Amino acid sequence: MTVRLHPRRATRRLAATALLLAPMLLAATAQAHGPTRQKVTEQIAIDAPAAAVWARIRNFDALKDWHPAVASSPADKGNEEGSVRQLTLKGGGALTETLEGHDDTRMKYNYRAKDGGALPVTNYTSTITVKPDGEAKCVVEWRGAFYRGYPNNDPPPDQNDEAAVRAVTGVYQSGLQALKKLAEAR
Amino acid sequence: MHPLHRLATLLWLAPLPLLAAPFAYITNQGSHDVSVIDLARQQVVATVPVGRSPAGVVASSRAGLVFVSNPDSRDISVIDMRTQRVVASLPAGDGPVGIDAAADGRQLFVADWYRNRLLVLDPARPQAPPRAIAVGHAPAGVAAHDDGRTVFVAERDDDSVAVVDVGDGRVRARVAVGSHPFALLLDAPRQRLYALNVQSDDVSVIDLRDLDRPAVLATVKVGRAPYGAALAGGGRRLFVTNQHGNTVSVIDADALRVTDTLGGFAYPEGIAAHGGQVYVVNWMDDNVSVLDAASGRTLRQIDTGRNSRGFGAFIGGPIEP
Repeated sequence: MTVRLHPRRATRRLAATALLLAPMLLAATAQAHGPTRQKVTEQIAIDAPAAAVWARIRNFDALKDWHPAVASSPADKGNEEGSVRQLTLKGGGALTETLEGHDDTRMKYNYRAKDGGALPVTNYTSTITVKPDGEAKCVVEWRGAFYRGYPNNDPPPDQNDEAAVRAVTGVYQSGLQALKKLAEAR
Repeated sequence: MHPLHRLATLLWLAPLPLLAAPFAYITNQGSHDVSVIDLARQQVVATVPVGRSPAGVVASSRAGLVFVSNPDSRDISVIDMRTQRVVASLPAGDGPVGIDAAADGRQLFVADWYRNRLLVLDPARPQAPPRAIAVGHAPAGVAAHDDGRTVFVAERDDDSVAVVDVGDGRVRARVAVGSHPFALLLDAPRQRLYALNVQSDDVSVIDLRDLDRPAVLATVKVGRAPYGAALAGGGRRLFVTNQHGNTVSVIDADALRVTDTLGGFAYPEGIAAHGGQVYVVNWMDDNVSVLDAASGRTLRQIDTGRNSRGFGAFIGGPIEP
């Protein structure tokens, strides 16, 4: 039950993002998070070499090129640790994520978000990895760990543990399916 | 075979030696149960259903009982080490998290996350309302001093550790540590307390020789989001899990210097040592890594329930009278 939400930062974002006013107000005033960290792991088998798939996703700012829900994803310091990317979603909403590790050898990167922005989560961390499966195939795995959006007991249904898991699962599944389609296209 | 039946069979075949062997009690927050690992056999011998989302744990060998905090059902499950069954459930505030027991097992100390209180429970009187002592914001880890009346509480949102006199029911002293201390570990022989600061990625080493004036004597940088600590190798080495680093830092407890950083973990959380081995709970992978304490090498992995935490002193075995 570690907490990564910093109350002052949350308040600053609150002023900047009127769209997400209600959930962030709760996060800012209560400081804490829900009692139970949740996780999601999604995998997809892709009929393409691992290096080719990694080349598509390795840049932290490339999310917009392969995730169907992302309109733009500029990152201020590229693939450097600490690089911050600002996601704008096609359906409205935003998310700010910080790169925490990037490894071309192991074909993975991991990042975090202090609040979930458009997602009903807090203290969100995530890792995406390409794992070779022979010469011509690979498996892409996307893993996330997070708390629900509502930090106290008795959450409303749209901010409970199930809602958080559902939202993150949706992001991963739609992204991985789109990536597979792109990578397997001839 | 049902794990409990299997255990019963084992007990029937070899009662005394097995009872003497210690167990690791791993709380599984996603499957609402506790995986019981027999350390002699290095396998899970029982899976015990408890309350909702079990997180904290303390195995009291003296009492022959294991106490598990369930933040979502807001109670403590009590497991009998001899039968591996829940024998009682104690109401415990609004969000029990960190938990420790007095050395004799007759008092339980529980952090009430949402209410900023330390609860003092008597396991022999499960229905008696707990005594509550006000502490700072978001109390998390709890460690009982061996003097029988002092309990340390990590006040996560205040970046401090409280020294609570449970006899008087008040905070006796307070010491500022790093950013967001969560877990605590007492090093009784050295009269020290280690506070793990999840946001500043370091360990505050607190001198306890004067309980009225606890003082940070060193701050040791570790990996990202340190979460759990255990002493091994006769207390010479301090092992710290780094949840976001997916690593374990090994610290020379005399020199207070990091000597090694071990990899290959998946959101490592709880950690405890027994004999020459260290047990690391991997929350993301739902298993426990067994390390050789001397070399740091991973010897094997043991599968547990879902979202395993093991937040606390999870190893113990019933002491024969």
